[in-house]
Amino acid sequence: MLLYVLRRLGTGLVLAVLVTLITFLLLAPSFDGIAGNRLGPAATPEAVRALKAELGFDRPLPVQYLDWLVHAARGDLGTSLFTGEPVAHTILQRFGVTMSIVVVALLVTVVISVALGVLAASRGGAVDRVAQGASLAGNLFPSLLLAIVLVYVLSVRGDLLPATGFTPLSADPLRWAGSITIPVIALVATGIAGLTAQVRGTMVDELRKDYVRTLRTRGLSARSVVLRHALRNAAGPALTVLSFEFISMLGGALVIESIFAIAGFGGYAFESSLQGDVPAIMGITLFAVLLVVTVNLAVDLVNGWLNPKARIF
Amino acid sequence: MTTPSPSVRHRSRILAAFAATALLTTAACGGGSDPSAKSEGAAELALAVQGTPPSFEITQLNGGQSAYIWSSLYDTLLYTDNQGRIQPNAAESYAYSEDRRTLTLELRKGMTFSSGAPVDAAAVKASLDRLLRTPGPNQFAMTAVETIEAPDADTVVIGLERPDGSLLSNLSYLNGVIADPATMTRPEAAADPVGSGPYTLDKGATVTGSTYVLKKRADHWNAAAYPFETVKVRVMTDRSAVTNALQAGELNAGSVDFTQLQPLKDKGMRITSVKATAVASLILADRAGEVAEPLGDVRVRKAINMAFDRTKLAETFLRGSGQPTAQVFNPKGGGAHDPGLDEAHPHDTAAAKKLLADAGYPDGFPVTMPSLAVTKAFEPTIAQSLADIGVKVNWTPLPPQQQAAALSSKKYPMYFILDGLAGDAVTSTLFFSTRSQRNPFGSTDPELTKLIDAANKAADPAAAGEAYRKVNAFAVDNGWFSPVFYIGTTWVTGEGVVYLGDGSSTYSQIRAFGTGG
Repeated sequence: MLLYVLRRLGTGLVLAVLVTLITFLLLAPSFDGIAGNRLGPAATPEAVRALKAELGFDRPLPVQYLDWLVHAARGDLGTSLFTGEPVAHTILQRFGVTMSIVVVALLVTVVISVALGVLAASRGGAVDRVAQGASLAGNLFPSLLLAIVLVYVLSVRGDLLPATGFTPLSADPLRWAGSITIPVIALVATGIAGLTAQVRGTMVDELRKDYVRTLRTRGLSARSVVLRHALRNAAGPALTVLSFEFISMLGGALVIESIFAIAGFGGYAFESSLQGDVPAIMGITLFAVLLVVTVNLAVDLVNGWLNPKARIF
Repeated sequence: MTTPSPSVRHRSRILAAFAATALLTTAACGGGSDPSAKSEGAAELALAVQGTPPSFEITQLNGGQSAYIWSSLYDTLLYTDNQGRIQPNAAESYAYSEDRRTLTLELRKGMTFSSGAPVDAAAVKASLDRLLRTPGPNQFAMTAVETIEAPDADTVVIGLERPDGSLLSNLSYLNGVIADPATMTRPEAAADPVGSGPYTLDKGATVTGSTYVLKKRADHWNAAAYPFETVKVRVMTDRSAVTNALQAGELNAGSVDFTQLQPLKDKGMRITSVKATAVASLILADRAGEVAEPLGDVRVRKAINMAFDRTKLAETFLRGSGQPTAQVFNPKGGGAHDPGLDEAHPHDTAAAKKLLADAGYPDGFPVTMPSLAVTKAFEPTIAQSLADIGVKVNWTPLPPQQQAAALSSKKYPMYFILDGLAGDAVTSTLFFSTRSQRNPFGSTDPELTKLIDAANKAADPAAAGEAYRKVNAFAVDNGWFSPVFYIGTTWVTGEGVVYLGDGSSTYSQIRAFGTGG
């Protein structure tokens, strides 16, 4: 398994190099404009040239990229061209904010989806119809609209939760919970809908299989059959959906961060792109690629642990 | 098959219900309106701004709403009050020489930076030198400055190559900032500024890009002019978020979209509308016809001016939060604005077509314009108005990071842009300086040069206003621009806070907010 993990990490690193190289080449034509933006409307061509030299933009592109790569390999992602802050520090700070919302959203999604999906598949009847109806409604109801309604009802009218802003967990756990409640609800709405349908579908298939009938005839409790055997086998596809959901939630966080005025990772990526903050864009790209690779690897490992037949290592 | 006993199922349900209740209760306890963010009398100003300050390094400061932050951290030599008048500030007095080419500033005694270092003439000279010699977005406003001297500890003398009517105004804002010379060139100055302003940045409570917490300096020489002990500036790019935060009591000041005013009015919040804070204009930059030959003909530029039904466009886009205009000068900028000039090129498609035909373009002409993020919403209407007289616009997307360089080049013969309004002298520099982005082709005219020189030399504000009025008339008569409308700003303030501005000063300074009401 160690070899498998190392191979996957190696592939991930190659992917990261390729993606960051492409990003760098796409940014390169903007270097003049970025220098001009920093210098303003009165910038003379000489001043632009001088700034480009100061920023290292005048060197051959392969040299620039390799220089960045060597520093990145040491954990040094450079400093922002605009704020002067270390990019790695800002990424971690902003990512921490986003993750403290997304991880909770993911946990809530898993708990509710698995509970609903398993109940729907194992009980059938009215429970199943309600679960399917809820899943459909979740897909149909835009999470953005849900967020706006919740802010109006719970914050503006009810004064129960903050309408905007974020409190770090380390600063005040209660306020942290308050600040992420509406963003989490907005993020999980569609996630629950998709995952519930997935869990229900695979659970229905599993519960019809021969081994389930055999287990039942051997006198195992219904709870044990459903939760220890059928759910374990049904977890693979659900985990895959969940990994997609995680990546999608990170994307959705950009909108949520904007609506709730939260300084998260999505907003940092957006601002950096608008400004043409090259070190920040490169750092964010690298971080995002490594994140996707890590999540996919983790999903494969968990999947293999849950279901030895599904092991690919 | 066994099923859980009823008692077990019941207990599970109770636990689930308890867990859900606990989550919501916990959330509710932690949430609601953050008491620290709410207005406690007038002790705290919780203000929303739309843009993140890019850097606090003095050559990289910008003049948008994020200036509320840096202008609280740094003292400026002079100060533009809420009525648009230049007042002493760190310089307690100033005087021009007779030929208006030498400005002598006498500094206030006893000022200190937040580091404890004294603010003296050497520190001011170091800051001005840096602003003058370091390329940056505001350097163009110092083109007339030739020398900066500090003959003694309290005196700074600025020598000018030529009289510059905008100098005093510039010294009251971006080009008059005083920073501690010991730290201003360090990379950390971008995030950790050391100024002598009335507030210091609370680094512990500040989250870069999100919330900036400013604490009042009790030892500031003008502490009494700043009623708020704490200023919390929150960056909110989404206008609905500002409205929600105002309603929830998380902010007590912010500018909002006029369509979202009603719930705030219902809540009893104070509304202050400033009719003109920005101008939306088509910059007809290629006045010599270098890239787009037709624009070299004044008849073509006048025809373009006549293509716009400004009243209708202002109504459609702004619905009361602005007004039509045909001039780029601020209606409250000092005297240049002349309501009569708005009628110089009335909307008349047929007459515009005739002018184009007279100029030799009976079928119109094509033109390439940059499509900018900030003007995207207006572009279809602008293009349609121009198409009505035969000018076919080909929009090319221009990413924000390339905007400044592209608009400063001669790539685009005309472009549509939004500009914040300023005083007459600054407006004149922005739109007519041959080094400005709004004059990328470096257009000059002997008559205009004479008019601007006269305005720059005018010592009396009324005379200067009259002189700039002539500059404005020249621009309108010669179709240098085709302004369409002024855009207003609507400020909403909560209990105990008032917005004091009326558009006379468009500088983002914390003194635009006071206590009362």
